[in-house]
Amino acid sequence: MSLWVDKYRPTSLAKLDYHKEQANHLKNLVQCGDFPHLLVYGPSGAGKKTRIMCLLRELYGAGVEKLRIEHQSIVAPSKKKIEINTIASNYHLEVNPSDAGNSDRVVIQELIKTVAQSQQIQSSTQREFKVVLLTEVDRLTKDAQHALRRTMEKYMSTCRLILCCNSTSKVISPIRSRCLAVRVPLPSTEEVCSVLMSVCKKEGLLLPAELARQVAEKSGRNLRKALLMCEACRVQQYPFSADQEIPATDWEVYLRETANAIVNQQSPQRLLEVRARLYELLTHCIPAEIIMKGLVTELLSNCDGHLKPEVAQMAAYYEHRLQLGNKAIYHLEAFVAKFMAIYKKFMEDGLDNFMF
Amino acid sequence: MSKLSLGRKTSSGKLSSWVQPSFGDFFAGSGLNSVPSSKGLSGESKSKARSSSTDVGGKKPKKRKGEPQSSKPEPGIFSNRQGSQDEPWVDVHSPQTQAELAVHKKKVEEVETWLKDHLDTKSGNKGGSVLVLTGPSGCGKTATLHVLAKDSSCHIQEWTNPTTAEYRTDESFRDSFDPASRFNSFHSSSQTAAFQEFLLRANKYNRLQMSGDDAGAPERKIVLVEDFPNQFYRQPGCLHDILRRYRRTGRCPLVFIVSDSLSGDTSSRLLFPKDVQEELSIHSISFNPVAPTSMMKVLSRIATLEASKSAGRNSVPDKATLEQLCSGSSGDVRSAINSLQFFSYTGADFSLEQSLWASKKGKSSTAASKPRSKGRGRPAKASTALEESPAIGGKDASLFLFRALGKILYCKRESYEEGDVPELPAHLSEHQRDKLLVDPELVIERSHMSGEFFNLYLHQNYVDFFSDVEDVARASEYLSDADFLTAEWTSRSTMLGYGSSVATRGLIHSNAARAQAAHQSSVGFKPLHKPHWLHINKTFRENYLTAQSLFISFCLTPVSLVTELVPYLAKLSNPMRNQAQITFIQDVGHLSLRRFPGRLQLEALGDKDPGLLDLDSDHEDTGTKSTEPSTQNPLSGETIAVPTLPNSQEPGGDLPASQPQPTTSQALLDEEDLLIEEYDSD
Repeated sequence: MSLWVDKYRPTSLAKLDYHKEQANHLKNLVQCGDFPHLLVYGPSGAGKKTRIMCLLRELYGAGVEKLRIEHQSIVAPSKKKIEINTIASNYHLEVNPSDAGNSDRVVIQELIKTVAQSQQIQSSTQREFKVVLLTEVDRLTKDAQHALRRTMEKYMSTCRLILCCNSTSKVISPIRSRCLAVRVPLPSTEEVCSVLMSVCKKEGLLLPAELARQVAEKSGRNLRKALLMCEACRVQQYPFSADQEIPATDWEVYLRETANAIVNQQSPQRLLEVRARLYELLTHCIPAEIIMKGLVTELLSNCDGHLKPEVAQMAAYYEHRLQLGNKAIYHLEAFVAKFMAIYKKFMEDGLDNFMF
Repeated sequence: MSKLSLGRKTSSGKLSSWVQPSFGDFFAGSGLNSVPSSKGLSGESKSKARSSSTDVGGKKPKKRKGEPQSSKPEPGIFSNRQGSQDEPWVDVHSPQTQAELAVHKKKVEEVETWLKDHLDTKSGNKGGSVLVLTGPSGCGKTATLHVLAKDSSCHIQEWTNPTTAEYRTDESFRDSFDPASRFNSFHSSSQTAAFQEFLLRANKYNRLQMSGDDAGAPERKIVLVEDFPNQFYRQPGCLHDILRRYRRTGRCPLVFIVSDSLSGDTSSRLLFPKDVQEELSIHSISFNPVAPTSMMKVLSRIATLEASKSAGRNSVPDKATLEQLCSGSSGDVRSAINSLQFFSYTGADFSLEQSLWASKKGKSSTAASKPRSKGRGRPAKASTALEESPAIGGKDASLFLFRALGKILYCKRESYEEGDVPELPAHLSEHQRDKLLVDPELVIERSHMSGEFFNLYLHQNYVDFFSDVEDVARASEYLSDADFLTAEWTSRSTMLGYGSSVATRGLIHSNAARAQAAHQSSVGFKPLHKPHWLHINKTFRENYLTAQSLFISFCLTPVSLVTELVPYLAKLSNPMRNQAQITFIQDVGHLSLRRFPGRLQLEALGDKDPGLLDLDSDHEDTGTKSTEPSTQNPLSGETIAVPTLPNSQEPGGDLPASQPQPTTSQALLDEEDLLIEEYDSD
């Protein structure tokens, strides 16, 4: 028994639930048996990977679905050994080079080289090229991206690259210009609803349209999240009721409570408590950027309109610091403290105006 | 100077060959006899000689500064020794009475009562009792013990590490190749065994009654250990075993003297951990560095004594010089006296000021002689001491982390005197601060830590010292700035200094509640804590990697994995494939929604704790384990039952079943796998 997300994932371009026109384009693209390098981008949960896998299946047949996890170790020129996990079928190789951190350049060069240099045995029945799927390209270092550019040109004859990322803004333009960019936008709320309904129908469940709509809205149109939520709802209560409470993840609830704690009281002691809570979130694997983003969203919804621009500006400032700096807690805490100071001042001023 | 006395201590024979001539210049210059007195006593006879008090020869090389003779020195001998100029003053003027001790009275009393309680073996307390004296070097630990032992007329038997040279002398070396004497040539035993035997003998046998001793009086004895056999540093358990035995069988009090050091592995903590101290009811007394006032007393006493004795050949340092010596030695009497002796030798023709305080700026000479405004002029002294450190003779001042943090966080200020208050323009008046009495850069330097670690410690503790949120906001901004400055690794080594400067000065400045000296007394004692960040960061990264390797089959990016999949998996009844995943989800996917997280235990920073961060501390892991049963979700019954599924623990079975994958292909998989690794997380 696997998750609904995986169980009902469409496996061919024809079966995709939304962006059908784009699916058609993709289908035509690989019709002739070849395709250029692809750069697939779009927000998380829009279905990028699903589309890529459908495309590969279209190209190679069911063989691409036989996946295995390989553990590769690459020795960098500096004799440093880099361990990386890859997922591969006979026809393609999926790798997240940013796992290797600063050594991602070596990973890209070495992996693509080994893949590209091994010829397909039965080229009569198969394609002449293999596919390397690189995920999170936007998190690659500049160094690695330039290495990728050279590698792309060099092994064009035996290897196609599919790059997958959330945003192209961090991808250097030489790469962007060498790839066919495919943007996968988020599904609309209606599309999410219809997917939810059809999945529930296949599961033999009755999903009220109202609940589906709520789930879709709460998930932020992230289909993966919507399906996970829906499944969590099912665990929580079945039969569904239309006004059922949709379970949020623990960390989201925790973060919201943290934001409330900040708004309720502004004192050094409260800051210490907030720091402990931030630490708690971090130990539960929530990245600092996500914490920052979540905090800002919650805080903005809690504070007065006059404060919002200032808070947003501060958030941007410290988020930037977060990216540049080493130790996230300094910046998170500085943001919280700053917010507390501003908010307190605002409240006191407001009180004064009220009094006189 | 301390080098000199050290050299004397270890190899007195060698000393005369190469150290002496260099000092001979000095001695010859002032027309003094330059032959060092310490000859003839070789290392191996020292340890034995020490145990019997009969050879109180004045030429005996002294090992420690404050070590007086174990029996009363004859007045005649004493005066003879005073005549010889090259005897270190630390030995000549070693304290003979409690009044002469530079140690605080309370401490002396503490040691004295302990000794009184435990010297009388007849009064019921069976077994040997153990005392540990700790403190920085040169604070008078040994001197105190010797003086007290003399007062209570008991005899000190000291352990000295046997030197390996004992059987390395030419004769025995030759013997070792002589087949006939093969069996008795290497009669050495391990230091540990020797130590054990020493304790046994010290315990059992009284000293021989020599003529001249007032026979008949019951022999009372203290066993003293200052040298520890090296083995004990490697295996403290060894020492603990011996101590346990001694507890049972010993008759006389056993005293250990351990010097504190800043360099991390404080031997006292290693040798005498808390639990052992409790188990063996070891009493521990910790000495503080000698206070400037008592140090002054000692120095001026010695200076006047020597001056009168030398009849004008030695210059008497003036008060200001003594004060500077005092502050330069940072509470180490031994080094202070050594420096004093050295300075006196240089003679009057030398300009003392110039030779000693080479690093001094022009203003400081006026600062020293400037009339002190209030009380005993301590603040002024402290500030000058911080500004200049003597070129020679000064001890490398250092601060324990605890004190260094305190200096920054309490940020002592002094109000300006009337008249020279620098006025800020009106719009900046909120930044008006009183004069700061600490130099943050110096404090960081003396804490012997990298600025980054120091900032972490500050960050952990600063909030407690603030009362206003706006101040905290400003301070936290400075900390953020400091981190930002050191972010770039290429320039980090250069920027570290600036980063810590920004952090410390920023913290001090932004604490507006402590801006005026008059309002500073309000903050009481606050406990300091060790920083969490390193541990948190490590846990974060470990969990992150574990998540990726455990759930690689879901083919997700790490971020969506940890923010979406894992938290929701915790809410679902979906079966996991292996136990590791279940544990991980229960641990990481769930957050206890209690208001105050109980997982972070604050680890208090002790006043002598080294500034090193034990990254391997697993106190939080145990905390996690203990909360686990309570965080089990209602579905745990279901989830736990899962591992009985066919491919639960099989690494080969961990194929991405979640991926679009026809179930029929399952059978083929095992044959096709080329390289399947085990990624069961640890």
